[in-house]
Amino acid sequence: MDKIISDLSHHIRLNKGFFLWMGFLVLALLACTYAYILQLRYGLGVAGLRDYISWGLYISNFVFFVASSLVGMLISAVLGLIGLKWVHPITRIAETIAVAFAAVAGLVIVMDMGRPERLANVFIYARFQSPILWDVTVITTYFVISLLLLFIPMIPDMAVLHKRFGSLPSWLKPVYKTLSLNWTDHPEQNRIIHRSVYILLILIIPAALSIHTVTSWLFALTVRPGWDSTIFGPYFVSGAFVAGSAAVIIAMFVFRKSYKLQDYLTDLHFNNMGKVLVLVAFVYLYFNINEYLVPGYKLKRADAVHLSELMTGHFALMFWIVQLGGLLIPIILLLFRSMRRPLPLTLISIAVFIGAWFKRYLIVVPTMSHPFLPIQHVPENFRVYTPTLIEIAITLFSFILVLIIITLISKFFPVIPVVETARDKGLDPLKRIES
Amino acid sequence: MKRPFYILLLIISTVLQAEAQNPAWIVPDDQKGKISLLKFTPDMAKQGEVIYMKNCQSCHGIPTKKNFAAIVPSPGDLSEPIVGNQKDGELFYRITTGKAPMPEFRNILTEDERWTVISFLRSFHKGYVQPDPEKLAASAGRRIKLSMVYDTAKRKIMVKAVELTKEGPRPAQGAVIVLFVQRYFGNMQMADPKTTSESGYAGFEWPQDLPGDKAGRVILSAKVSDPTGSMQEAVVRDTLSIGVPTDKPALTDTRAMWSTRDKSPVWVILTYTLAVIVVWYFIIYIILSVLDIRKIKELNL
Ligand code: HEC
Repeated sequence: MDKIISDLSHHIRLNKGFFLWMGFLVLALLACTYAYILQLRYGLGVAGLRDYISWGLYISNFVFFVASSLVGMLISAVLGLIGLKWVHPITRIAETIAVAFAAVAGLVIVMDMGRPERLANVFIYARFQSPILWDVTVITTYFVISLLLLFIPMIPDMAVLHKRFGSLPSWLKPVYKTLSLNWTDHPEQNRIIHRSVYILLILIIPAALSIHTVTSWLFALTVRPGWDSTIFGPYFVSGAFVAGSAAVIIAMFVFRKSYKLQDYLTDLHFNNMGKVLVLVAFVYLYFNINEYLVPGYKLKRADAVHLSELMTGHFALMFWIVQLGGLLIPIILLLFRSMRRPLPLTLISIAVFIGAWFKRYLIVVPTMSHPFLPIQHVPENFRVYTPTLIEIAITLFSFILVLIIITLISKFFPVIPVVETARDKGLDPLKRIES
Repeated sequence: MKRPFYILLLIISTVLQAEAQNPAWIVPDDQKGKISLLKFTPDMAKQGEVIYMKNCQSCHGIPTKKNFAAIVPSPGDLSEPIVGNQKDGELFYRITTGKAPMPEFRNILTEDERWTVISFLRSFHKGYVQPDPEKLAASAGRRIKLSMVYDTAKRKIMVKAVELTKEGPRPAQGAVIVLFVQRYFGNMQMADPKTTSESGYAGFEWPQDLPGDKAGRVILSAKVSDPTGSMQEAVVRDTLSIGVPTDKPALTDTRAMWSTRDKSPVWVILTYTLAVIVVWYFIIYIILSVLDIRKIKELNL
């Protein structure tokens, strides 16, 4: 038991590596904050956004963040409720990713607002008919549920570490004590925890499905080519699982290396996550085929323009790299067991993750550049959207923020559930506390 | 020594390049001589100011203030001599045809309105003398007056063109008439243009199913379309009760997806509220029960 505790929590301390990494992140964050200040002062015109293409990097990024956060539900709820034991060490990583991405997703929207000080108007003048209100509601809800799913299972860990982990930094002790809620392994306490987690796992399934379905409706409830689709909900949800699974694999790899968790995140976990990834990627491929083949067969005029822009026109290069390099080739590779070993799997996941980001760009921007009424009498930069440096810096800002949140959570709390791991191994953490 | 020279050369050629990108705005010779048939008066200039403020000020700013918009090519201040030294016909042509980004005002302002704006601009141009309209009126093309009636028997809109001559009015033959009906936004052309007969009439079939307002009123306008300039512009607008009376409720009168919050469909309000209540009931319930863990201190061993 002592070994488990020290293995899973020795990383909880302030060391040089942490300060270097955080210092780097904070500096980068500050640099990007300057870009946002410029945007606040001079308006959204400093981004490449114009009248016709008013959704660009920010909205693509928002969709991507919401997508990545969905994986919390996939791992904890779907795989967890099925009763797969191997997911136990991964659940907390998945929830951390979910919390970080969901928290920043809302911020990304604020960054896309020309007058962020009017944010409250979204609520004051909210219309029940507006998918934007639905989106705000479900994302807030999903964020809260994910946060609870991150911290409630952590209660026993907090208690055990607080009592038994000698080298716990002293300033963290009160935090752990508060979060442990005086847990003493009382059966009644465990019953409450168990029941709460159970209810949350059930709640998070519809909540997660709705966040990405509603996000897809922001597009699909219009008649524009490329968005006017009835399968946009499941298309987005399946794509989200792909991005999220890739994110979890990358995080697993990084934590395993830097926190020395080789004994707990084994090749088995990577192999299984590789299988999960290839499964969800197959589902997503299926939706992709639907999404392009069906309009491509009928070729209504607006769709024809849209599809030819994607496949042979302005966006062709990006489109084919994303579809082949970010989806098809990874699927083929992942069918081989040797590709599901930690290192190759992580490299493939990085390709998938980057591809997933650009995929969102390909969903948002091309449609915007083909309105039904022709674009006339406007300067050239109204027709073609090119993200500006400031815009890219602000987008980086959101990524850095996600990294900071993930770093803080993973650095100051055990990445892998301690008590659960002990129990899975037949050990009893509590008896020792008492003695 | 060489380097500064090259740098200068580079800058100058870049600037020239940029200038070259704005093609010259050439007014055809036969348009330069066009003049206003109305005498420019201070009164007219005042009306022109109103039109100017509405249509031009956003780009050209207030004359003499030099506060024109910072766009490329520069719109410039229209009180400047570079504008003042141009002929009336040149200004008229530029306003009529526009040149990106300046819109063409051909279909936005009538000819009279365009002249009215010019009279406003002219009030800033020192030393400007208006060519005598009276003298030139004779050569400026035939003056036409239009009127319209609905012929119930033939079910036709009859547009009558009368030419005003020195000897008095007489039917104008051969005038090309276009008929429009006003809709929500802009005008819709009815049928093809018609040429007036010997008696000065042009008849347009009137569709019997065209919706009007509650009282069946429709707003029609007819216009002489004469690209050769042998006839002056003439327009007539009239409201006739010949449409099908239509009393549709406004699209925002009932509860609908596109309406305001107070008019949301009931099912949307219910679904949304119910979902929020159910989910948040559980969330709050769970938070409270988890906090209860703190109270269970004693381990019953
Ligand atoms: C969208 C902006 C815009 C609006 C509105 C606009 N203009 Fe212009 N205008 C311009 C620009 C730009 C130029 C210069 C074009 C060029 O030189 O290529 C110009 C040029 C002109 C010129 C020629 C000036 C010269 O130096 O030869 C006249 C005359 C003129 N405008 C009159 C008007 C009037 C009268 C109105 C309103 C009825 C109006 N404009 C509305 C943008 C505008």
